[in-house]
Amino acid sequence: MNPSSQPRRYPTRRAVLGAAVAGAALPVLGGCVTGGDDGTTEAASGAKTAENPLGVPDKTPIEVVIFKGGYGDEYAVNAESLYKQRYPGATVDHKGIQKVGEALQPRFVADTPPDVVDNTGAGRLDLATLVGAGKLSDLADLLDAPSLDDPAKKVRDTLLPGVVDDGTFDDKVQTLNFTYTVWGLWYSKPLFAKNGWTFPTTWDAMLALCEQIKKAGVAPWTYQGKYPEYLNDPLLAMAAKAGGPDLVKAVDNLEPNAWKQQGLVDAATAIAELAGKGYILSGSEALSHTEAQAAWSQSQVAIIPCGSWLEAEQKGITPDGFDMAMAPAPALSGSDKLPQTALQAASSESFIVPAKAKNPRGGLEFLRILFSTTAAKRFAELNSTMPSVAGALEGLTLSSGLGSVKTAVDAAGPNTFTYRFRTWYAPLAKAVDDATGELATKRITPAQWSDRVQKAADAVATDTAVKKYQR
Amino acid sequence: MKRAHAFLVAWAAVVTLPLLWAVVSSLKTDREILTSPWSLPSTPQFDNWSRAWNQAEIGRYFGNSALVVGGALLLTMLFGATTAYALARYPFRGNRLVYFGFVAGMLFPVFLALVPLFFVVKQLGLLGTYPGLILVYTAYALPFTIFFLHAFFRTLPTALAEAAFLDGCSHWGVFFRIMLPLARPGLVTVAIFNFLGLWNQYLLPLVLNPDPDRYVLAQGLAALSVSQGYRSDWSGLFAGLTIAMLPVLAAYVIFQRHIRSGLTAGAVR
Amino acid sequence: MAQDRHGRYRFLAGAILPALALYAVFVLSPYAQAFYLSLTDWTGVSGQVNFVGLDNFTRLFGDPLFLAALRNNGLMLLVVPVVTIALGLLLAVLVTFGGRRGSAIRGASTYQTAYFFPQLLSLPIIALLWQFVYHPNDGLLNGLLRGIGLDGLARTWLGDPQLALWAVMAVLVWSSVGFYMVLFAAAMAAIPTEIIEAAVLDGAGKLATLWRIVLPLLRDSVQVAFVYLGVLALDGFAVVQVMTVGPGGPDNATEVMGLGLYRNAFTFSKFGYAAAMGVTLFFLTLTLAVLAMRAGRRERVELA
Repeated sequence: MNPSSQPRRYPTRRAVLGAAVAGAALPVLGGCVTGGDDGTTEAASGAKTAENPLGVPDKTPIEVVIFKGGYGDEYAVNAESLYKQRYPGATVDHKGIQKVGEALQPRFVADTPPDVVDNTGAGRLDLATLVGAGKLSDLADLLDAPSLDDPAKKVRDTLLPGVVDDGTFDDKVQTLNFTYTVWGLWYSKPLFAKNGWTFPTTWDAMLALCEQIKKAGVAPWTYQGKYPEYLNDPLLAMAAKAGGPDLVKAVDNLEPNAWKQQGLVDAATAIAELAGKGYILSGSEALSHTEAQAAWSQSQVAIIPCGSWLEAEQKGITPDGFDMAMAPAPALSGSDKLPQTALQAASSESFIVPAKAKNPRGGLEFLRILFSTTAAKRFAELNSTMPSVAGALEGLTLSSGLGSVKTAVDAAGPNTFTYRFRTWYAPLAKAVDDATGELATKRITPAQWSDRVQKAADAVATDTAVKKYQR
Repeated sequence: MKRAHAFLVAWAAVVTLPLLWAVVSSLKTDREILTSPWSLPSTPQFDNWSRAWNQAEIGRYFGNSALVVGGALLLTMLFGATTAYALARYPFRGNRLVYFGFVAGMLFPVFLALVPLFFVVKQLGLLGTYPGLILVYTAYALPFTIFFLHAFFRTLPTALAEAAFLDGCSHWGVFFRIMLPLARPGLVTVAIFNFLGLWNQYLLPLVLNPDPDRYVLAQGLAALSVSQGYRSDWSGLFAGLTIAMLPVLAAYVIFQRHIRSGLTAGAVR
Repeated sequence: MAQDRHGRYRFLAGAILPALALYAVFVLSPYAQAFYLSLTDWTGVSGQVNFVGLDNFTRLFGDPLFLAALRNNGLMLLVVPVVTIALGLLLAVLVTFGGRRGSAIRGASTYQTAYFFPQLLSLPIIALLWQFVYHPNDGLLNGLLRGIGLDGLARTWLGDPQLALWAVMAVLVWSSVGFYMVLFAAAMAAIPTEIIEAAVLDGAGKLATLWRIVLPLLRDSVQVAFVYLGVLALDGFAVVQVMTVGPGGPDNATEVMGLGLYRNAFTFSKFGYAAAMGVTLFFLTLTLAVLAMRAGRRERVELA
């Protein structure tokens, strides 16, 4: 069960305006919730063959609506031309727009939606509302269809771990996310090489390294203090590795004393150690993400936590030869339940096929093409971003950062995890952020951190006005 | 007296230093801002300004602000003046009720209205549109405008208007040809106050104007601080800040007599 | 004006109705709706409105964030108006009477022009500017302190819960002193010079003259200033939202009611709850205004 769209944390962190924009996107579908009458419009379909496993009608036009944001829409145009090659009789109507919700809300209400939609960006339609109103197609047929690259493999098996899960609502896969984000710790390879430092895989080694870095006159760590959630990522990642998937589930399911699990207390203790030993750049707690990241890219600081968007975000100000790389958070102990290479990962850029589309088979086929390695590679080349298709980065010349992300994803294999409480229970997320900020400035102890967060989680759990989710 | 001057100069420094610093920083390179925040730029980087204007789209935000504030100012002055005049010079049943209804609006915290207002504007299909913003700005500027002009119209002599009526002037004719010109000083003052208030409006556009293409200046700068921050383009950000500040400062220096006399009128009231 | 009754009514309708319509749709109706919404659990998705009575309000006073906001706004309400008015009065007195024999000081107009500058800038711009002033490593303030050898006083202004709210209040005071200074100076200039001269002739000292003659005559201006600054202190949204950690932090040290309302409505989608915050804010503002006006009226009765 996953009734919430995946965190597209990077734009929502654009702190100043993000909240308003997200709010504006929420109620868009209000008017159509009640309108779910079963009109039996006959959708076009063609004969199913090995070449055409989804039974796409050749001569039926297809309408594709793409969110034209940071990634542009060229990658989609490319996928559309591949579609036309396969179905020469079809015309493709392409629309690259910014405000998906505004443009499509009336069409969803009138049950005349396009055939496939990239429902992304600040003005997107609320996914949970779409699902609740029964406006989306089940993507099972697509997932079980043979993949374009290797007919022996189903589409389902070509996706990176977690992607199918991220798109599942009420036990049905109703959306597929096209991009893949992982979180880790970032450093400059030449800076480390020059000083003879190696990136540590255990926390003890991390502390030893920090001592060395400090002696070399560089601040070991910084974080985006104005938004303490950035520091949550390594904390929660180390806890997840220590306690395994059960720890993550207990947290997300608001189980009693979930935040007092040993893994979380140990991870909080680790972060507190960093602060206590003076390994965090002074003043970090008041730096915005841009300021902290700028200090890091000027090599005033050695290590910063961030998601895999960092390289693209820092494009233009990263000095030549900085060669950034991402590493997974270290292991807290030898008895961790997940390997150290495990990664916090989530997918985003949500593609849907509306239930009332005129050419739903075409919509599914478009996604089969888009999620092929050919189309995904094109996307990766255009945007230096990892698509959620396995192997899409093979054979490409990758930048330093993206290369390290690929290495990390390959090394993690199936061992990925993600916390959902942040999207399910925003007030709890805020409480965790606040507590971690306090922890990193030594104003509270790890035990107090656990107590505070547990209290906030209990408050959410007992609040009857909050809709609860389980995983 | 020396002490008086010393204190006055000190406060002047406190007030102007951050502003000057922003202006100076807008002409420096990023490196100069970070490494020597105190020095003057070695060579003024006017390029920062053009970059902020074009690339960071300060120019566009500027245009949006000008359009929205201009439109709202026009409507506010027109509707505000006619209403204030009618309420000030025409006794009728319910006059006081209408007047106090308007004036009470000055006291309500905008926050209270924010949530329903969002949905009112949305239901009218005006969310994120210029007309929507103009109408809302106007509605929220009316209480102060009517309050101020009401007092002003009451102080104007009645003889002239009566003479005009005897000459066969219509009600509208008297208003536009006689009363409005007489009220010019008051109109100018209230227009300046409204301009400042509307130009600096942040909360209403933040909620009602979510489309980045239509951002007004205050929104655009807040967004710019984030996006330029990503690029660590501090100089571009300071240039944007400066561009946003200058026209208002210039308008103030030009109109400051009016503003002060307006304040005096308010103070004596 | 007895002629043409018909035209008179048409004129009145034409003059008042457009403004009234705008005002009713965009101002009055949202305020009215807010009161209703505050009694519901509305989430913004229509068709799911349940009447919950005063539930939102009881929740409000058990909500640690709201209580923190109440405390912070309360402190701001105590500090911001008093400091701003005191500074404004002091500067106005110096400018108006600081010259020879109680005349205006030389350069009075220049001072007034400079002091008014911050009033011209919108609060987010001011907050942005001050974010750089407060920057822990490269900021103007710490740079200045280090520059004059006071390294020990340099602080992470916005990162320290003990200091952050004061840093916010300093910005609010900084941005409003100029306006009230000009307001007070205008009121002082309107005092007939004979009154001052008479007091001076009577042998009253400078301070006594100020205290006994000038300040009482400024009572109305000060009272208006209190109301407006009080409203400002109950807000603080723009500065906090743009400038502070979190925003509202660190650890809710700068949480204000406006921010809580905004967050609950537009991030948490709890519109009913947010409306309850708005209603509470409304009654606080109303109480403030009534108290300020009452205080003024009683004084006037005594004078009469």
